[in-house]
Amino acid sequence: MENTLSDRIDNTNPSIGYVVGGGLEANLQVRLTVPPQSVQEGAFVIMDSANWRFYGLVTDLQLGATDPRFADEQTESRLPAHLNRLLQGQTLYTNLAVMPALMMDRGPEPGTPEYDKWAALHLGENPNPIPVKTVPNHHASVKLADQTDIAEIFGEENGKNIFRVGETREQGHAVCLNLDKLIQRSSGIFGTTGSGKSFLARMILAGLIHANRASALIFDMHNEYGPDSTASDTGKAAPGLKGKFRAKVRLVGLGAGGSFGNREPDFNLEIPYSDITPEDILQLSQALNLKETTPTTLDALERDFRQGWFREFKEMRVGILEEDENGKKVPAPGSVEFWANQAGVHSGAAAGLRSKLERVFNRSYLKEAPASNGLNDIINNLENGRHVVLSFGQHESDLDYLLVTNLITRKIRDAWEQRTNLYHKDKTKNKEPRPLVVVVEEAHKLLNREMASQTIFSTIAREMRKYYVTLLIIDQRPSQIYDEVMSQLGTRISASLGDEDDIAAVLSGLPGRQSLRGMLAKLQPKEEVLMLGWGVPMPIPIRSRRYDDKFWRDLLGDQGASMTIEEGARALGFGDDDTD
Amino acid sequence: MENDTNLIPIGKLLRADATSFVAGCRVKEMQAPRFGALVKVALEDGDEIYGLIQNIVINDDGLVRQLVSGISIPSEYTEDNRYNRNLPVEIHVLTVGHKHGGAFSHQLPPKPPMSLDRLYYCPDAELAAFTAYGRFGYFRHILRQVDQPVEELLVSHLAKAKAAHEAGHHPTWYHAACQELIVLLRDDYPRLASVLNALAELE
Repeated sequence: MENTLSDRIDNTNPSIGYVVGGGLEANLQVRLTVPPQSVQEGAFVIMDSANWRFYGLVTDLQLGATDPRFADEQTESRLPAHLNRLLQGQTLYTNLAVMPALMMDRGPEPGTPEYDKWAALHLGENPNPIPVKTVPNHHASVKLADQTDIAEIFGEENGKNIFRVGETREQGHAVCLNLDKLIQRSSGIFGTTGSGKSFLARMILAGLIHANRASALIFDMHNEYGPDSTASDTGKAAPGLKGKFRAKVRLVGLGAGGSFGNREPDFNLEIPYSDITPEDILQLSQALNLKETTPTTLDALERDFRQGWFREFKEMRVGILEEDENGKKVPAPGSVEFWANQAGVHSGAAAGLRSKLERVFNRSYLKEAPASNGLNDIINNLENGRHVVLSFGQHESDLDYLLVTNLITRKIRDAWEQRTNLYHKDKTKNKEPRPLVVVVEEAHKLLNREMASQTIFSTIAREMRKYYVTLLIIDQRPSQIYDEVMSQLGTRISASLGDEDDIAAVLSGLPGRQSLRGMLAKLQPKEEVLMLGWGVPMPIPIRSRRYDDKFWRDLLGDQGASMTIEEGARALGFGDDDTD
Repeated sequence: MENDTNLIPIGKLLRADATSFVAGCRVKEMQAPRFGALVKVALEDGDEIYGLIQNIVINDDGLVRQLVSGISIPSEYTEDNRYNRNLPVEIHVLTVGHKHGGAFSHQLPPKPPMSLDRLYYCPDAELAAFTAYGRFGYFRHILRQVDQPVEELLVSHLAKAKAAHEAGHHPTWYHAACQELIVLLRDDYPRLASVLNALAELE
């Protein structure tokens, strides 16, 4: 939100307490002057002190007494009601622990000569909140943030880059996410199964697609983002992105002949053998239980057959023998052992690898010469501002997922790197590459400690936006993701997590993680999420938007409601015109 | 609420210091003062010193001792000893403030009263005016006392003041006074508990 000095509007919420102690490290202590039930953990509060407004997050509520005996003694039965009320009011109290996060210079009181001087000095500047560097005075009044405060920090929904993710829990004020910041660095959406993570991801992707700030490549392992699906818990229809953004989203099916419910893919992706590199196979080491000798064998294959290594290896047979001139059985030409002997590779290792790769060779979407170049189509669509949902259809195994996501992402990232280099070489002749967000589910399978060094994904996560490609990882076991990757994630949005290690992983590298730990553990499944990290001005728990008709109506107008666009068009007797 | 007791001195000062003073009175005059009552000494310069009666002492003398040890004493002897005794009844007063130039103060007076200054009982209206002034600053003089039944003194005083304020249509005074006491004593659990228990008996 653009603020000017004259925009200063005072928060009209009543005071809920006053600062009594604490600091930047140990959180501020605030004596609550209202019943404790009127404030919840995670509440966003403001504190005005001198010229500064401080913004903080309630991280704990603690009951206290001036003397523990006042708390132990049940005086209700001994004292008259009014004396008891007075006694409890003065001796029993609740303290809030408030994690200060941001502060903003608001200048002296408007209307005073000091304010005029201050305003003249800061003419034309927008007051921006900065990370907190000092503390409010003792007895500074504390209030719940109102809509203006929240908009000042998180921005105001604008139908473009500022996207409303949910509302504050107490007062229901809208909390937004800056999608530009979301895509500037790699991001993550986390939560246990059933925590509402997939719907949250769908909403944010809808926001991204609608805002048109970047292209998205979504690896849809379980066919839930692109095609329409049914919510597992409520049984209600959950529209997919393809149905709502028909012209902007290309639904790509892995392999020929795949269909997704009642929706046909825009095109199918088949991968030519020549695109598969030894690195792609090495990334399957765990899935295929490959031996330590595998890299040597693959090197030899690539050295001998170059791009055709996959096809050649597939053609080889194991254990075919022939008799030599001495009548001795030797490996026949065309056998793995024959090639291994020629190439100076251990024949047993080569034969073992050939057997283990049988599972890869059998993949129906791997073709020697596919009818079309699906990969190029994907790249072209992404470059032209469209979004691609690659649905895995019936190819839902980990092997498929690991192989395809890696291979495609590597190719795409290479293409983006090339375009970025060209752009930097001559900015007048070459277009700036369009930012790309690669969305990966079950990210721990690609980014765990063992795999992270081998896959392209950790490289993308580390590079930030150097080559205009970032990741949006969606996962339920963030603790399984390599620490170095987790620490690079800019924006983290987490639904409830139960496991201590997962909670620690989501909070890794962030200030105040001790205070946020409990908050993350207590999020209500399907309802609440915690936004934090570099891409969010300050951590905040919110009640997330519901993924329903209203969401689509808010995002796309009336055309976004219950019926998908094409359903609506069909109902009116029109054809398949793109309408979004 | 004025009454005629303010016109009658209830005793004369025996001795004084900066924080308290002692007046003597005859048994007949003892009808007016009660433990916890607000009294005042009028000084020659027109200022007044206020205090709360925190103790009333009746000393013995040789004749009383003889009478006490006697087996059977005619009732005339008892009456005569009570009303014509040589030693006065002592009224111990805790100084809680003063009035200078017509304005109340809950600070101690700059100098104590002199011997033989007259001691007067404060009527309800004056009690209400003195206690309504400021924010209960005079409580500190009471709470400073050690080896005295502070709780009893407070409760006795609050009961009288409450009645005076209610008669003057200021019923909220008592509520505010209780609150102030709780604030002042909240770090002293035994004393506060004792005061509150005593106050509970009032209601």
